[in-house]
Amino acid sequence: MSTPPSSDLILLVRNVIDADALINHVRTGVDGAIVTFDGCVRNQSHGRPTLYLDYEAYESMALAKMREIAAEVHAKFPIDRVAIAHRLGRLEIGETSVFIAVSAPHRAAAFDACRYAIDTLKRSVPIWKKEYFEDGAVWADGELPPVPQDTQSRKRAS
Amino acid sequence: MLAHRRAAGYNSSVSSITPSIQVKVLFFGRLKEVAGGAEELVELTPGSRIEELFATFVARRPELARYRGSLVASRNQEFAAWSTPLQPGDEIAFLPPVSGG
Repeated sequence: MSTPPSSDLILLVRNVIDADALINHVRTGVDGAIVTFDGCVRNQSHGRPTLYLDYEAYESMALAKMREIAAEVHAKFPIDRVAIAHRLGRLEIGETSVFIAVSAPHRAAAFDACRYAIDTLKRSVPIWKKEYFEDGAVWADGELPPVPQDTQSRKRAS
Repeated sequence: MLAHRRAAGYNSSVSSITPSIQVKVLFFGRLKEVAGGAEELVELTPGSRIEELFATFVARRPELARYRGSLVASRNQEFAAWSTPLQPGDEIAFLPPVSGG
């Protein structure tokens, strides 16, 4: 996987995500569009009122996977810059847990890249949320990331 | 925080002369609660695979067995197949379905 350009910004944070800073980071003179995704904490889960969420990550791997996502969107879409920030720890209802900003000369690529980035993040970045309710807490249902099968044995055979 | 443990199959009379490799093991999310800890150093026989490493934890915590089909493993921050051989110093993590975003 190629390294994303140093102009990208990839962050795990424990305080409020500064969305304006991410947007300004991707804004350059060549861009005609900036598309953002703001993922925020919902007040219920399957109809059960949520009190708050607590996020944890395998931090070194999560950062590596987020950098891979940035590299992939550069390879797939004609965009300029990517900024991805995910927050960890306790988050209250309405707070931003993940924020993505993508800039591009034209809007279609920025929309497509932003959608690809959040969809891939939810499927492949090792971050977990625990949902707290009046009467207890549960780890949220998640997605099992795709895993290469027997890569090592193929390497050994070659 | 870290505990040294021998993999199943060792006994004290051979551990001093049998070569072994040491790997760091991490558990996350609900697996951390089921495994009873987040991080551990484990000694294994050379050539052991991720599957055998997980089996040593199942031997100690049988309730882990029912999570085998709904978790993925990583080796040195990359998702890895269960058949992946372990190398000395590897960082292996067992990861439940991810729910970020």
